[in-house]
Amino acid sequence: MNSFKAYFKKEATEAVRTNKYLILFTGTVFWALLNPLMLKLLPVIMENYVTTEIAELFSYVSRDNAFTNFLGDLFEMGTLFMVFSLMGLIAGEVYGKKLTFPYSRGASPAGMVLAKYIHYLVTINVLILIAFITNYFYIIYLFTDGILSIGIVLKSALLYMLYYSMLLSILIFFSSILKRSILAGITTLVLGYGLSIFNQFRNIRSYFPNYLLYKAADLINVFDSSLIATVIISLFIIILLVCLTIYRMKKIDIS
Amino acid sequence: MIEVSGLSKKYGHFEALKSISFRVEKGTVFGFIGRNGAGKTTTMNILTGLLKFDKGKVLIKGKELSKSRRSLSKIIGYLPESPSFYDYMNSYEYLNFIGGIIGYNKNLKKTTGELLEKVKLTKHGKRRIGVYSRGMKQRLALAVAFMNSPEILFLDEPASALDPGGRKEMLELIEDLKDEKITIFLSTHILNDAEKVCDRICIIDEGRILLTEQLSRLYKTHIQPILDIEFEDNPEDFITPIKKLDWVENIKIERHTASIYVKDIDTARREILKEISKLDTGIISYRIRKSTLEDIFMRMVGKNELI
Repeated sequence: MNSFKAYFKKEATEAVRTNKYLILFTGTVFWALLNPLMLKLLPVIMENYVTTEIAELFSYVSRDNAFTNFLGDLFEMGTLFMVFSLMGLIAGEVYGKKLTFPYSRGASPAGMVLAKYIHYLVTINVLILIAFITNYFYIIYLFTDGILSIGIVLKSALLYMLYYSMLLSILIFFSSILKRSILAGITTLVLGYGLSIFNQFRNIRSYFPNYLLYKAADLINVFDSSLIATVIISLFIIILLVCLTIYRMKKIDIS
Repeated sequence: MIEVSGLSKKYGHFEALKSISFRVEKGTVFGFIGRNGAGKTTTMNILTGLLKFDKGKVLIKGKELSKSRRSLSKIIGYLPESPSFYDYMNSYEYLNFIGGIIGYNKNLKKTTGELLEKVKLTKHGKRRIGVYSRGMKQRLALAVAFMNSPEILFLDEPASALDPGGRKEMLELIEDLKDEKITIFLSTHILNDAEKVCDRICIIDEGRILLTEQLSRLYKTHIQPILDIEFEDNPEDFITPIKKLDWVENIKIERHTASIYVKDIDTARREILKEISKLDTGIISYRIRKSTLEDIFMRMVGKNELI
């Protein structure tokens, strides 16, 4: 517990001093603000470059369209921001020899890994929640029509939170086994983006975590029984990878 | 206090430690000396629980290190050769962080203040560690090693980054710690420092222990007179006949001075001037000196190279 507390505090200090909170805020809440605004201004911007008929196609955007558009952007850009800002979470510590003192003074690898994981799990989930709520009220203010409600938005937010919790566990695991932070980041990105391909296959897609993103954008029916397998598998991946990371950090040579 | 037997460590195919054994008594300063790459830091990292070993046994206070790693870490302080910190923190924050890991909540603020005062960093305590000089980082590392008053201190080249003043202070500090009955495992290649503070010396080379001896006994058992002869010309050109003499073990040349390590001082005293007179050169000075720790070290390592 001592190591958990010390590392949790250290992660919070580090996130403030190295602008990680700001980067993660930009990757989530900033898009929530920018996305609806861009959609609203797009017809005006396009007016001078395309014909009136084509410009008219962009002029009608419902609340539902605006929200799903935000979800797409959040997945593409938010993932990049998260992965590149947190890819050195463990690799940076190991190969920067930052663990020599803590380990020589009895730091618990489990406490350290859990503190890092839980700190950023809470941070990312809070930011996702803020981003979704901000985006919802902004959309309500700027657009009309559609079935979008705060209930749907919160359900979608929940699925995104689970997805990013899973992605964070992948990132922390690769960061513990790969020497270079950038390799951990790229591997996580490839998996994060790559697994979306399974959303094309109706029969197997619910067995892959990226189905959470697919269902988050299914505004008519966000929660249904098809998610049970996805949620169980995602939680299993999180627990497995966090345990493997702890095991790795127990076995690693710090020198 | 520390008992190491048959300790071996391999990095891939490279054998860093070849079944080394030694013993460190409580309250003593144990000088672990060797060249770069001899295996000093590997041994330190193993004894502090940072590195796993392949074979052997390490007992600290009678407990097996491999089984009681975490509980033993509470009584160990370690100063690594190149300490690494979180550059965005200041000294107070870093010491509080380590204090938190140890679970040292009692008067933590007061303790960190005292530690920084002890290592003369109070004035810079609130500056970011990232802007510290190497010497300042070394002093902060020492404060970290002192946290929670450890019973055993592992110091890996503690004076290597310090200026002459800092080095002198470090040696005085080690002397003070000796008075407090703290066991110190000091790794260094500055033999002069080891000679000043160590009770016992252990020489390691190429992963092998060449010698472990009480410093006072070392001089008695390994004492070997050396003849320092300063020539008018560079001795490299004409010293070969002297090297071939039976009673000469080795010759070290530095500029115009040849240091002749002899096996038998009586024969050397009788013969040396006769032999030198055969050389076509003038002598500026001639003296007999007793061997220092450096001389003993060079001899031991030199012999090891021949094995």
